[in-house]
Amino acid sequence: MRAVLTQGDDPPSYEIMSFERQSRLSGLIPAMIRDLPLKTLNSTTQFFCMFFAAAIFTGLIAGAIAVPARAAAIQHGTLDLVSENTWISPGQSFTIGLHFKLEKGWHIYWKNPGDSGEPPRVTWQLPEGITAGEIEWPAPHAMIASTIMNYVYDGEVLLIVPMQAAQSVPVTPGAAKLDASVRLLICSDKMCVPSKAQLSLSLPVKAQVSSREQSAASLFSAGRAHLPKPAPAAWQFTWTDKRDSLVLRARTNQKVSPSYFFPLEESQIDFSAKQEIAPVTGGFQVTLRKSNQLTKPVARLRGVLVLADGQAYLLDVPAGASTSGRAGS
Amino acid sequence: MKRSVFGLVAIAGALLIAPILISAPKIGEPAPDFSATASNGKPYRLSEYRGKFVVLEWHNNGCPYTRKHYDSGNMQRLQKEWTAKGVVWFTVISSAPGTQGYVTADQENAYLSKMGATPTAALLDPNGEVGHLYDAKTTPHMIIINPQGAVIYDGAIDDHPTSDASDIPASKNFVSMALGDAMSGRPVSVATSRPYGCSVKYAGASH
Repeated sequence: MRAVLTQGDDPPSYEIMSFERQSRLSGLIPAMIRDLPLKTLNSTTQFFCMFFAAAIFTGLIAGAIAVPARAAAIQHGTLDLVSENTWISPGQSFTIGLHFKLEKGWHIYWKNPGDSGEPPRVTWQLPEGITAGEIEWPAPHAMIASTIMNYVYDGEVLLIVPMQAAQSVPVTPGAAKLDASVRLLICSDKMCVPSKAQLSLSLPVKAQVSSREQSAASLFSAGRAHLPKPAPAAWQFTWTDKRDSLVLRARTNQKVSPSYFFPLEESQIDFSAKQEIAPVTGGFQVTLRKSNQLTKPVARLRGVLVLADGQAYLLDVPAGASTSGRAGS
Repeated sequence: MKRSVFGLVAIAGALLIAPILISAPKIGEPAPDFSATASNGKPYRLSEYRGKFVVLEWHNNGCPYTRKHYDSGNMQRLQKEWTAKGVVWFTVISSAPGTQGYVTADQENAYLSKMGATPTAALLDPNGEVGHLYDAKTTPHMIIINPQGAVIYDGAIDDHPTSDASDIPASKNFVSMALGDAMSGRPVSVATSRPYGCSVKYAGASH
């Protein structure tokens, strides 16, 4: 089940000279047909004109099927609202995904964008009884440009949003309309542009428990594979506060090769400083340089630890404790 | 031929390494001196402004976060208010040629006049020397130097890290707060924050 109608991106107050590229295919076509100066033409010409416009319209739609057919154009990419479930069931949770496809060379930002940038923000307008949870953020890539470190996504990314339907949501023959307005910043190494999109998805509401939408199954399973998981319960994490750095230690009792720790907090770790990764007895340690902006003692270290094999673990390690890295455990 | 290729590689290597070795000043530390040519054609040297407060404002005229503060007139108001109180205000443009925000002197002068912006000067820093000296990360990124030449503020312009101008009225402006505190002899209440905006489009950032 894909987005029914999508409105092209249009940042009206930010026409950024020649840097901006108009890629509003979906918004362009109806406007083109509407704006034809039909009144000035005789009926035969009018007919051909309409026919021609319709032909172009159909041709473009047909040609666009290989790309996400009904996705909204955003600056330098597309954005689609996708449901994992066939319908909404009262009292059940369901899952929606924000599916981004970005042009090569362009990126959007993780929950903690790093030294610059801003994550996509979603405002939902939902029928009574339906609530949206927090975005589940896949592990990002670390991208350093000169001295600026950013935590980003490029190519294709699915931001998963857990949704809940209350028991009170009425079963209707019609559909429940889920509206999302999304604002985001998209950047290349040479420029940044703002973008926004209005997305809408209609799902039936049925009493039976919904099943998984076949056509979206592979998208969601791939999306979930990129989500950070809790670290194995047997692994123990601690960290110590050194003068200029925080040293994260892991006791894994097995060979583990970490590649990067993505801090979740702002103004705690110097994002652009090199992380020193070293093996220690029974595990490894990662030395993280403190941020110049750090003014308070660090109470907890939260972030995503990514291993060389791509596995990503969500860590939440309070000061002084030896924990499995899981909050509250 | 071989030697010149080696030379180029060595220079490229030095350029890549140099910014990493420089450590930006922390709050209370001396502000490193620099000189740069402004869009008005004049040279400016920071150390000549000892005895005055100096604001450094990193700028990229196409960046949505910079535009938030210029299209709304917020930055111009700050420049006017604080330069009237004797503050020296340098807008610094560290965008490399071919990147967003890069301008020639003429283009910058036209921009200043069109926007009604009145910094003391707009410094052209296309090779990023001043930017790297202060480890400027974003546009805007704000640094304040006191009359003794020490950094007293380093961070964001305000507490609303968005590109939405409608957030400005509800924002705490960290630049005005820091200048107000320092001029009244109070300790600066917020001396550092995470700067927000577009990354500074430094030369050699391609990857």
